[in-house]
Amino acid sequence: MRKTILLSGLLAVSSPMAQESDATELVRKAMDHWRGLTSHSSMTMTIHRPDWERKMTMESWSKGDKLSLVRVIEPRKDAGNGTLLNDNNMWTYTPKINRIIKVPSSMMSQSWMGSDFSNKDISKSTDIIDQYDHELTLTEQKDGHVHYTITSIPHEEAAVVWGKEVFVIRDDYVMMEQQFWDQDGVMVKSLETLEVEDMGGRTVAKTMRMSKADTPDEWTQMTVHSVEFDIELQANMFTLSNLRNPRQ
Amino acid sequence: MAGPSHLPLGAMSVLAWRNLWRNHRRTVIMLLAIAIGVWAMIFMTALMRGMVDQMIKDGIDALPGLVQVHHPDFRDDPSIDHRIPEPGPQLRKDLEASGVTGWTARVRVPAMISSERNSRGVTLLGVDPRGEIALGFDPESIVEGRFLESRDDNGLVVGRKLLERLETRLGKRVVVMSQDPENNIADRGFRVVGVYRAKLSGLEESFVYGGLETVQALLGVPGEVSEIAITGEDYRQVDPLYRQVSGVFGTDPEILQWTELDTYLGMMLKMMDGFVLVWLVVIFLALSFGLVNTLMMAVFERVREIGLMQALGMKPSTILYQILLESLMLLALGLLIGNILAIATILPVRDGIDISSVAEGMEMMGVSSVLYPALKLKDLLMANAVVIVLGILTSLMPAWRASQYRPVEAIAKT
Repeated sequence: MRKTILLSGLLAVSSPMAQESDATELVRKAMDHWRGLTSHSSMTMTIHRPDWERKMTMESWSKGDKLSLVRVIEPRKDAGNGTLLNDNNMWTYTPKINRIIKVPSSMMSQSWMGSDFSNKDISKSTDIIDQYDHELTLTEQKDGHVHYTITSIPHEEAAVVWGKEVFVIRDDYVMMEQQFWDQDGVMVKSLETLEVEDMGGRTVAKTMRMSKADTPDEWTQMTVHSVEFDIELQANMFTLSNLRNPRQ
Repeated sequence: MAGPSHLPLGAMSVLAWRNLWRNHRRTVIMLLAIAIGVWAMIFMTALMRGMVDQMIKDGIDALPGLVQVHHPDFRDDPSIDHRIPEPGPQLRKDLEASGVTGWTARVRVPAMISSERNSRGVTLLGVDPRGEIALGFDPESIVEGRFLESRDDNGLVVGRKLLERLETRLGKRVVVMSQDPENNIADRGFRVVGVYRAKLSGLEESFVYGGLETVQALLGVPGEVSEIAITGEDYRQVDPLYRQVSGVFGTDPEILQWTELDTYLGMMLKMMDGFVLVWLVVIFLALSFGLVNTLMMAVFERVREIGLMQALGMKPSTILYQILLESLMLLALGLLIGNILAIATILPVRDGIDISSVAEGMEMMGVSSVLYPALKLKDLLMANAVVIVLGILTSLMPAWRASQYRPVEAIAKT
């Protein structure tokens, strides 16, 4: 139902202002679709390099735009490692040293758990909506769906190094691709959705792969096994004490 | 000493002068040796002085200022936690009345700067462009773009080397990340509006300049700064300036002179005076062997003559004075030539000697690639004094020997 309303809206209105707000709306919806009001999912992260590969199974919870908690379940030597995000602040917990560390700003551009995601990629995902100007640049029909390509240019003062980001969002709000371009118009890295599946009552991206444009044989892949949306979460879920001592 | 048999000074001088030029080849060689020695003393000292002066000036410009005011804990932990209020109207008035030649308040915090491809740790400076230029930031050192134009300028000025490391260019956006007083991440995008070149490439990589108010807003500390830098007339006399500044700021913040802020620089200045003296004495030691030798020879050649003069009634002490006077004339003449030579070589190069062919190695020592010789009257006088005093002392030996001949033996000597 919502889909048809949005679609007709897009077709009927062609003024750039309206288009821009539609594009913002699309990104907003795609984010909400992915996160829900609350969510609980389990997934596997595969870090691939030409000469080795490693997998990690994780469980994650999210609430609203700001709060997320990720905890590693397997392999055993990494089990219990956790990351808590509250807005732009990030804490990690490592059971081996029994310490919570607040990730300082100097480490935000380093890799998250050895993957191709940076700490910043993890913590900033929803800033996209209000720190960028979004514009719908392409609408195309593919595999029985409409794909909207949205070019998002960061605001002058946004804490974003990219020249632009390009989103490909399907008409059912599945984020199909997210590209990161530098300021000279060269693509640096991209997050692609390889598989889409119905899970937890929604159609969501099952497998996503982050890869750098100049090293295509190095990538990190996230595969979601199960996801639940809009569930009741404990009140203490996104606290430092829960990061240290899991109670769910 | 004045007795009937004591020759008047005039006659002694005539004698000494003629004796000098009896063997003019030897005298000319000795004169050359003294002149070149004195030239080396003065010229090389001027070069070293110039090098150290430049080093200290560059160091003070980089600090900047002769006196800085900080929160007492800032130097141990230069974070935004340790900040002081920006000078208010009353403090400003007091500062200007106290006769400082320039002052500026700056925010100085460690930060991360990142481009699409790289990130580096830097020191982020939130500056007032006018104050910064007054404190020694040379607008000429901007090689591309412009320097900041106002306190609330939104641009960022970075070093040439840093830009290379970040693989980005003038006009591109970069992200600067730091921490606010609540330990939250404070970050924002800046457009690179200017690129500066520093004499020392290390500085190019470590300092980025933003507008003071922009940086204060980023860190959430409006009206507060990390340091206040004050400059005065002469870096050698900081005490009066220090007392004035202490009078204005009271005892709460930590107020330090540049010699304490950069102890290495401060030590350089102190060490330099001792170093110059050692240098002069070393050159003189080499010179003194020639001097003693020449005078000795002059004495040996004239044994019979000295014996005759004594036989005619000249006192041994007069002989001593005679030889010393000869030596003094030789030294004075040599010094005159040496000084003229030194000044004549320093004046044409006082605008700097380009040593850019070895600039990289010199920069490692913190010395820039143009050398400005600095001729100091103090060094000139010291070189002359060392030569005269030590010269006379070394001539005492041959003179003493000449005065100790027994006339009968001396006359009989063939």
